[in-house]
Amino acid sequence: MKFFENKFTYDYSFPAVSLAYFLRYPNPYSRHVLTTDVIDRYVDPNTRRLHTIRLHLKKSKVPSGILKLLPKGMGGSDNSGQSYILETTIVDPTEGWMETESRNMEWTEKQHYQRILTEDSTQALDGLSIDQKSEQTTVRTTVTFRSRLGQGKFLSRKKAGFDNADAEEEEPKRGFFSSLSTAGIQRTIELIGVKRTRDAVLKSKQGMNVVLERLRNGGIVGVLEGMREDREAAFGTEGPWKRVWLQGNGHAIEDDDK
Amino acid sequence: MAASIAPECNEIKERYDTCFLKWYSEKYLRGNTTSNECEELFTKYKKCLNKVLKERGIDTMLEDARKSSSETDSEFLRKS
Repeated sequence: MKFFENKFTYDYSFPAVSLAYFLRYPNPYSRHVLTTDVIDRYVDPNTRRLHTIRLHLKKSKVPSGILKLLPKGMGGSDNSGQSYILETTIVDPTEGWMETESRNMEWTEKQHYQRILTEDSTQALDGLSIDQKSEQTTVRTTVTFRSRLGQGKFLSRKKAGFDNADAEEEEPKRGFFSSLSTAGIQRTIELIGVKRTRDAVLKSKQGMNVVLERLRNGGIVGVLEGMREDREAAFGTEGPWKRVWLQGNGHAIEDDDK
Repeated sequence: MAASIAPECNEIKERYDTCFLKWYSEKYLRGNTTSNECEELFTKYKKCLNKVLKERGIDTMLEDARKSSSETDSEFLRKS
């Protein structure tokens, strides 16, 4: 079921926007994104399109209170509060478009980025053209709700493992949930989802704009410098605070052992 | 640069990412789509990453996800 659609225009050229997409984590609006890895990447020899598959690990955006109520697996990969996002990207540099698909167990987000040709812009792309302020790129975003309580294919194997292992201790919770209709639970999750999706799409746009601004002001070096600051702000540096935190944590473990 | 899910791969990932950014902005977007100077770094990075993905059982999950993804790829591309 499609429940969110949005169109937006970036005041940046298509090359800059597509590069910013690959470079968008970390940014000040992505504190929930823990890791990003490239799983596969190749240029199709026939179409010359660049295909990329990435895996992101994110902290779940479902509030912990709701997370506890949901059957295992519904809040993310499990109830650890983390979830995997599989992202597929195809870039066509000749036609000036990019398709992206990001999905986890619950949602699939698809985006179509399109270069807008202005009268004075040449047909061929010329590098990043980050200084061409006249160029614009539109993005159409749609988000679909995909999970039907355990029928989601992504992570289904892992989820099944959890269900079997915890079958006994999950008994009371199951009783509670079987008293609710599947449609009811789905509706609740969708209502949480609509608001959260709107917020998430807005935040991701703000994040992209930060990266694009850095690209325009300082090139790729500017983006990397900004990232370093964001990462330190999010995960701490090797400075005194981290040592305090580590020592504090160590004491806590000792106390637990007593 | 974004961190890897496998901390031991961070160094090689950063080298690969840097190579990719340079290639993407200076070669690929300018029409030189056939060069592959980052291939060696990517192979090393993937080797490091795949080991960890396998240890944590993420590789089978990815395989499943990609299979179910390819079923809908044709539909995805038709719409756009």
